[in-house]
Amino acid sequence: MSSTAEKTMKTDSMFINLGPQHPSTHGVLRVGLTIEGELITKAVPDIGYLHRGTSKLAEVRGYHHCVVLTDRWDYVAAMPNNLVFCLAAEKLMEVQAPPRAEALRVLMCELNRVASHLLFFGTYGIDIGAFTPFLYAFREREMILDLFEMACGARLTYNYIRLGGVMADVPPEWLAKCREFVDYFKPRIDEYDTLLTYNPIFMARTKEVGLIPAADAVSWSLSGANLRGSGVCYDVRKSDPYCGYERYSFDVPLGQTGSCWDRYFCRVQEMRQSIRIIEQVLGGLPEGPTMAAGVAKIPKPKPGEAYAHVEGARGDLGIFLVSDGQASPYRMHVRAPSFLNLAILQELLVGNKVSDVIAILGSIDIVLGEVDR
Amino acid sequence: MADIEELASRIAEKLPELSRHPNPVKGYLTLKLEDAAKLPQAAAALKALGFDYLEMISATDWLGAVKPEGYIRNPNPIVFLPEGATPQSVPSATPGFPYRPSFELLWAFADLAAKAWVFLKCEVSREAASVPSLSGLYKGADWQERELFDLMGIRFEGHPNLAKILTPDFLVGHPLRKDYVHVKDRFDE
Repeated sequence: MSSTAEKTMKTDSMFINLGPQHPSTHGVLRVGLTIEGELITKAVPDIGYLHRGTSKLAEVRGYHHCVVLTDRWDYVAAMPNNLVFCLAAEKLMEVQAPPRAEALRVLMCELNRVASHLLFFGTYGIDIGAFTPFLYAFREREMILDLFEMACGARLTYNYIRLGGVMADVPPEWLAKCREFVDYFKPRIDEYDTLLTYNPIFMARTKEVGLIPAADAVSWSLSGANLRGSGVCYDVRKSDPYCGYERYSFDVPLGQTGSCWDRYFCRVQEMRQSIRIIEQVLGGLPEGPTMAAGVAKIPKPKPGEAYAHVEGARGDLGIFLVSDGQASPYRMHVRAPSFLNLAILQELLVGNKVSDVIAILGSIDIVLGEVDR
Repeated sequence: MADIEELASRIAEKLPELSRHPNPVKGYLTLKLEDAAKLPQAAAALKALGFDYLEMISATDWLGAVKPEGYIRNPNPIVFLPEGATPQSVPSATPGFPYRPSFELLWAFADLAAKAWVFLKCEVSREAASVPSLSGLYKGADWQERELFDLMGIRFEGHPNLAKILTPDFLVGHPLRKDYVHVKDRFDE
């Protein structure tokens, strides 16, 4: 269309609801879109459909009980949720997890990151119109969930990482199964690249779409692959290491332009790095106990405030915990990466075409359980 | 992570009015802002120092132990508990703890390149819970301030769209306030 035609053609603006029940919103999210023709002029994300008030619930529960609540935020990658609460509570309680527990925590979190990115890889393909990658991604994801089931009995809400360590050591045959998975999975990532990453149609749909400049990404407090896709190097595992991440060697994949494809590509590359970390942990898993000695059944930490953050599958997941000396946290604040990543949508969608909304929304990779908490 | 003392002296050069907080967030540099009205200047100075990433905004209500009326308690959903037992333990106040009718706000700024974090604390009274908004300086403040407004009832002056974000429209009050009392609605029956 020539520019003069664009100016002379008048279209009425129309309001449409995307969601709350729509397969591409990955949960209950409503986006109120005002469109003029094909162009989006206003986007208002409406959240809160899954708000369960976990911060309020934590104020009447013991510290051990709160770990169960954390599973329900980012239910696609629940291990980092368990971990971040335990790290914050351990800072208050002045407890240090033993080396084997720390290694197992790293192992589980990295496996969970791979599982979460596989879900993103599969569903993002579906969002764009490629169904096949989904089937491959779920085949591999299933194997990780089987490993989790073997270790803690649950496939989604694990409650495996506990205050002072982990629930239990992994069964003797688990490590061999995990190695088997790593050997099986490594060549699969190259397969994904041929399936989706360098697929010309997929690249055409995502490469120039949803550009987030680095300055905007920082200003909107984005984190995870959304921030790194814009070329900003920030990974909590490197910047503020926890659980001995400084001992493992891995790279932080960065994007260039901050497009949907860059964010996608960062996640695929992160799977490779996670596998690198898993191999290192499996190679040097220390022996010893998996639970610190002297963790109270009903912990009553001394009054104080602690902040802990980890690199979850979706970004910088933080917990601010306040104790007044009682058996329950006085205040728990969750810095949820999905919540902050989603906020940019109101600015990012404006000026795009309706058909690109799904591509952009999918590339932000939100989990509504974490957005709403 | 950057060294705390070095960081403190670097910030003290530019922002002498901020003092070290006596009750810091463990392991991080925590500064005290006396007057909430000075927040935009302090934040702008921090941003100029490289702290261009707003990591978190949080607030604590220091009124005292949480009220049990803030929770939906009946019917008792835990079948293993005896009839009439309370499903949750309700915390009591810790003797000697300095509870007070005020909100303590907390901002966490990060300098991603220098791997440094600084926490800023400011206390405001519960009656006139209002602080200037940072949404002009940091776009990430937008939803975080709306969340605190919704759950805590703290007003952020100058916010372009200070509306409820997480709780439903019919919910009365601000649930994370310690004296919040749940008003029964059609979903409780």
